Amino acid sequence: MNAAPARGPVDAVPAYYPGCSLDGLGKAYEVTCQQVLDRLDLSLDRIVDYNCCGATEVKNLSQDVSIALPARNLALARSMDRHQVVAACNGCVYSLARANDAVHEEATRTRINATLQAGGSPAYDGSASVQHVLEFIYQRAGLERVRAAVRRPLTGLTVAPYYGCLYTRPKRYTGVGTTPGTDDPEHPHFLDELLRACGAKVVEEYSAKTICCGGGHALSDLDVSVAFGASILNEAKRAGADLVATICPLGQINIENHLDRIRAEFGEEIVRPVAYFTQLMSLAFGSSLKQARLGDNFSRPDLFLRARGFV
Amino acid sequence: MPIVEKSLVSVDRVEHLEVEGIDVSGDWNTFLRSRVVTDLDVKIADWVKGQPQGETISRCWQCGTCTAGCCLHTDYGLEEFNPRYFIYLAQIGYEEELRRYASTIWRCVSCNKCVERCPKGVKVEEVIHTIGTYLELSGGAAESPADRFDRAYTENLLGRGILDEAALFRTYERLEGRRTPARELLRLGLTLLKSGRLHTGPFAHRTRGWNRMRKVLEAKLTEDRARRRASVPAPPVPSGRKP
Ligand code: SF4
Ligand code: SF4
Repeated sequence: MNAAPARGPVDAVPAYYPGCSLDGLGKAYEVTCQQVLDRLDLSLDRIVDYNCCGATEVKNLSQDVSIALPARNLALARSMDRHQVVAACNGCVYSLARANDAVHEEATRTRINATLQAGGSPAYDGSASVQHVLEFIYQRAGLERVRAAVRRPLTGLTVAPYYGCLYTRPKRYTGVGTTPGTDDPEHPHFLDELLRACGAKVVEEYSAKTICCGGGHALSDLDVSVAFGASILNEAKRAGADLVATICPLGQINIENHLDRIRAEFGEEIVRPVAYFTQLMSLAFGSSLKQARLGDNFSRPDLFLRARGFV
Repeated sequence: MPIVEKSLVSVDRVEHLEVEGIDVSGDWNTFLRSRVVTDLDVKIADWVKGQPQGETISRCWQCGTCTAGCCLHTDYGLEEFNPRYFIYLAQIGYEEELRRYASTIWRCVSCNKCVERCPKGVKVEEVIHTIGTYLELSGGAAESPADRFDRAYTENLLGRGILDEAALFRTYERLEGRRTPARELLRLGLTLLKSGRLHTGPFAHRTRGWNRMRKVLEAKLTEDRARRRASVPAPPVPSGRKP
């Protein structure tokens, strides 16, 4: 039961796993990811016939189904001859990396491959590593290139960087903290640095950085998910932030979906606009509010940013 | 933590604690002589350990690190949500006490802080869910909202290979007997439609060539469910016996 090695060979153009959220509610995240990558001269190659990764839900019903779902996507990446898979959703990073850990064990690998092949998928040998798009941008572009790409610095904005749970956790699956060049699992800072490179003021020691958003139970446990959404906003308010930056569609959607309840239970004064970090980066790289799709977000960062002089 | 309130210290408890004739007080200079407890009921621990998600349960040495940082216990403040204790109760087979938490244990939000921090490599989050599954399958515990959601989610995504978010929302609301007012739904639907994000029903995304995989995975799901149900030990006979 030793953990699988978390990173393998590096591809010039890794495979990109969109996942359901980026193709659905999180469209603004996908579009602005692409804008940011373009401006930084980075490319990813989309896994075309991907399937849902199963998030954290499927594993509670069946281990094998919860491994086969992500493994099929990793197998597709391997058949594109890629060794690296980049995903933008924390939940996807978690379940893809969890599948890698599981198929590291031979008996499991044999069983999963029998399932995959029965379903018409190529087999998977465990040789594709998984990375969050935040880490990909940070490692590949570096802060220098980000600074050089800025056209409209985010000067005057104070941002609370919200990472959530599964970007780093657990390191046994993600390899974050145990692989050279990855973020710090307890005190991540890649997002802080990227936003700072874009000219924003970033809240130091934002205490809600890695707390849970409750998104897994967004529908099934309202008390908890509303409270977590509220405390992410409340900590941002206490730290003097104007807005919250997210790196995960689950976090983004969970906070935004609960805004009415948060207002009613905790008061309007804690509410802040919430935006994907790539929306903010794209804005800094010269996109308009519309191009960065900031009007897609229910918390309407576009209105707030317009009042601050962005167009 | 030092005990600041002296009145909390009871001499009887600290200095004269004896179990089965063995001094377990931990008083200065005493070593705890090991004793063998043979009447623990290990059927729960064995069952949990037999599930791939629960196999790390036996590594736990009860340090409490998981509970100390648990999002539900510490951040949300749900004191009775105590992963260390759930594992302990499963290990010693104190089923009646464990059952008292059947309506709490499902609330784990899968934040994985516990897994990240456990010094023994216990996959705490998965172990906790497996204990929850035990409580449900072995009779007694009703299906929890989280279990209903997991089921709705899985069935939804297996249908087309890609989740239909709007359909999942509708299915789950029906399962819970909840109804979001039509006006609110319409407002949400319009916002999503305008920004090109409403892919539901006939417009839902699908994975090309998924049908074959769907059949295999649905069969696997049914098989796993049946296997878990069949392997679960018989429901407990209430006895009042403490381990
Ligand atoms: S942190 Fe690990 S070893 Fe410590 S009590 Fe929790 S599960 Fe057991
Ligand atoms: S995964 Fe569950 S048990 Fe573990 S820290 Fe989070 S809420 Fe607590």
